[in-house]
Amino acid sequence: MTNILEIKHLCVEVDGQELLHDLDLTIPDGEVHALLGPNGSGKTTLVMAIIGYPEYRVAKGQILFDGEEITKLDITERARLGIAVAQQRPPTIAGVKLRQILDFVIENAPERAQEIDDLTRAFQMEEFLDRDINAGLSGGEIKRSELFQLLVTRPRFAMMDEPDSGIDLEALALVGDMINALLSKEPDRPAHRRAGLIITHTGRILDYVHADKAHIMLDGRIGCSGNPLILLDKVRQYGYEECIRCILGRREG
Amino acid sequence: MKVPDARSTEAQSGPGLDLDQFLIEPDTPPPAMISPDQVGRADAKVMASLGVHVTGEDRSGTYILHNFHPLSLIVKSDQIELLPIAEALKKYEWLREKYYWKAVPSDLDRYTAQVASATEPQGYFLRVKKGAKVAFPVQACLYIARGNIAQRVHNVVILEEGAELHLITGCATGPGVEIGAHLGVSEQYVGKNARLTSTTVHNWGPRMGVRSRPGTIVEEGGTFVSNYCSLRPARNVQTEPRAWLNGKGASAKYLTIILGSNGSTIDIGGEVYLNAEKTSAELAHRAVCTGGHIYQKGLLIGNAPCRAHVDCAGMVLDAKEDGFIHSVPGLRALHPGARMSHEASIGRIAPKQVAYLQSRGMSEREAISMIIRGFLGEEIVGLSPELDARVAEIAEFAGHGEEWHAR
Repeated sequence: MTNILEIKHLCVEVDGQELLHDLDLTIPDGEVHALLGPNGSGKTTLVMAIIGYPEYRVAKGQILFDGEEITKLDITERARLGIAVAQQRPPTIAGVKLRQILDFVIENAPERAQEIDDLTRAFQMEEFLDRDINAGLSGGEIKRSELFQLLVTRPRFAMMDEPDSGIDLEALALVGDMINALLSKEPDRPAHRRAGLIITHTGRILDYVHADKAHIMLDGRIGCSGNPLILLDKVRQYGYEECIRCILGRREG
Repeated sequence: MKVPDARSTEAQSGPGLDLDQFLIEPDTPPPAMISPDQVGRADAKVMASLGVHVTGEDRSGTYILHNFHPLSLIVKSDQIELLPIAEALKKYEWLREKYYWKAVPSDLDRYTAQVASATEPQGYFLRVKKGAKVAFPVQACLYIARGNIAQRVHNVVILEEGAELHLITGCATGPGVEIGAHLGVSEQYVGKNARLTSTTVHNWGPRMGVRSRPGTIVEEGGTFVSNYCSLRPARNVQTEPRAWLNGKGASAKYLTIILGSNGSTIDIGGEVYLNAEKTSAELAHRAVCTGGHIYQKGLLIGNAPCRAHVDCAGMVLDAKEDGFIHSVPGLRALHPGARMSHEASIGRIAPKQVAYLQSRGMSEREAISMIIRGFLGEEIVGLSPELDARVAEIAEFAGHGEEWHAR
């Protein structure tokens, strides 16, 4: 199987400060990985560097998407290759409606108009269409809006930054449904999935969405990788402090 | 007549406009009138960009002024009367007595004086009869098809009691016309409980000078809505609309949307006199600066218990060497019952917003256009399809820069 994402020795700076250090990560096509880690460990930085936000400057290393180097590509080019992110704190844009993003997608793919209309109704997004993007939305609504945009743009590789943070159980179930819909390429073939990367601090979303592999991030590096359920179980049992001790112990040992 | 005295009176604001360099009186006889759909394709395309459709479809009437003379005039509703102003003045004595130069003084400044001194006035007379609710808009196009002329226009619009009309006025230069002047006086009378929506779109050549002097009088319960859109920045534009809300419950709402670019000076004024109880006024200026000088001004004068709000908002994109937006929202309360407020803000596009839209697959320019369009249309309720199309066009201009202009 080919790798949809391959990151090699990546160093990323924000405002001149290095936040990711010599990071390696590989995600094969069709796999969904979870990225766990304490606050401030660099999870969001990694996602923003992969999609190509200009203030996240790649100082060293490579990002390969589907075997092609994308480090020099701008954010539009990366999005058009099929990389997308559902942000944790997306900006609000006064006067720009969610409907306009849908219109943009349909303009470029008129044959998808009906499907997008169906998606809008299936996830009860009608009421959001004529509101300014992300303006005045609750935490759960922002997550729905972000995931809905990913459902509409149908990326090859979907990244989700903390889809489970700050929402109640009911909203979490809906977010889980949206992610599963997003990651399933064909409804009748559940094993045939879109590739993805889910950032989660608490791991709650993994009760709803299957991840093939998990990585624990610490201090701008991937500390360890393995079975998501086992890793999450350890984190829940001992907390990230224990992970830190374990990882640091291994690094020093 | 006091006209000659004012011919040297400078306008209250804006740089002077040298009119001597332009041909100001007609040097050709009036052309034969034609049907709007006989207008040449290139000119028709320009007119369409202003919301003036030569097919006349979905329009109750059409008037086209071509350089110095009327070219087309069609009326499709018996509820309205549309005539060249010169003809109307001959037909109706009362027009001169009650309306002509009554909402805009001819000696206001040297530009109004110039308009008043025309041998034969150019422009149109439009009357909507009492109680008539005109379904489709009336469209007027004031068109300059040759360079180095100064067009002087004087329009009078009268809405009788209870009448309703949407008037679309498009002013433009034809393809390849870069330099000239347009002096426009519009007197608008909104009768008791009448409603006039006036949408004006300008699309001028790059070295044009424009002076616009609209005056509107609104009677009891009347509503006046003015939308002004400047699509392409001319060298030197100065507008000074004034409205008098003289009857109880009269209201006025102004929205201006302008784009400035390198080398242009655009000075958008606006004065509303709230003279009767329960009158209300709202003035909203929106500007996008990609260079050049933009002045947004508005003064609301509360002479009675009234409500008024003025709001100037600007977005500076790439201001080049010396581009700026200067916003001056003004209030003058002369009555204790006047409730008045103002706000002004000038900002830039946040790079995070651009990146966000790019991450959905838009190019940087598409993203900027969408953000500008949102900024211009924000909080504007009921943007008509005509205006919405113009706003989209401005956003395209602003987002794509100079090379788009040249297309």
